[in-house]
Amino acid sequence: MSLLAFCHWVAKTHIGIAMRDSSWDFAVVEIFHLLALAIFGGAVLLVDLRLLDLAFKDLPRRQIAREFLPFTVGGVVAMVVSGYLMFANGPVRYYFNPAFRLKIALFLLATVVHFALQIWTAYRSSEKSVSTLWSRGASVASLLLWFAIGLAGRAIGYV
Amino acid sequence: MPSLLQICQWIYNTHFSTAIRESVYLFPIVEGIHTLGITLVVGTVAVLDFRLLGIVLESVPVTRIARQVLPWTWTGFSVMFVTGLLLSISESATNYYNWAFRIKLLLLLLVGLNPLIFHLTTYRSVSKWNLATTTPLGARIAAACSLALWGGIIVAGRMIAYLH
Repeated sequence: MSLLAFCHWVAKTHIGIAMRDSSWDFAVVEIFHLLALAIFGGAVLLVDLRLLDLAFKDLPRRQIAREFLPFTVGGVVAMVVSGYLMFANGPVRYYFNPAFRLKIALFLLATVVHFALQIWTAYRSSEKSVSTLWSRGASVASLLLWFAIGLAGRAIGYV
Repeated sequence: MPSLLQICQWIYNTHFSTAIRESVYLFPIVEGIHTLGITLVVGTVAVLDFRLLGIVLESVPVTRIARQVLPWTWTGFSVMFVTGLLLSISESATNYYNWAFRIKLLLLLLVGLNPLIFHLTTYRSVSKWNLATTTPLGARIAAACSLALWGGIIVAGRMIAYLH
């Protein structure tokens, strides 16, 4: 099944029909998406700042990565679920929206980069006094990618 | 003495307000940055609130978390404030009648009073419970109020555009 065929299928599902026909479903789901973003954004920022040695320098990187894992994972799950519901409002329309395409591409990339980094730090890394160049690079990439995803998300409604 | 509505209408009619409102790119870009500023404020404040509620970083002293987190909260706050001011200027006359906007301003006032009251009361004795997993009831109430108020601000903020 092609992606476009998948979008046509989503539009015909119960969820797709409900999201399209209700006037307040979208608003409620979007607000939930933003609330999840706030919790997620704070946790991601602190994890990445710790790996850049810019915050919580006196706490182990491993501890920060581990303690914030439920927040970053929970945030992504909440945003994927609410995001899918918003997408179901007009799947074919979003399929042709360049900002939406960009956001999804960046999201897939950011998810791989960020969670590889955070999970590795939480369970595999050895605690060195200074972050490695690799983890610093990945932290910067994570921050820039999530920032771009936020802006691309806002742009979906305007392009 | 002009009324608040007249002031809002005067601001609305200035070149500056019209330029933001009618620009194809400026309004969405400012709005996007405003959203990310709020994310920074609420996300970092939430970490401190969750610590006060004993949900995260329980082994770390409260004051140490506050010291690490609050500079980022204030950075986010200045971004949120400046971009929020620009958005309010661009829609001043329509926002005057907007219920979600009025509620948001009220919630912002309350969310500012909350830490003020907290610092004048429970937080004064922080040295006694800095390391405690279960913080005093006053601290937990302040944290719950902070989370609820900031959540309400996000809800009201998003509603402004829906009520336009």
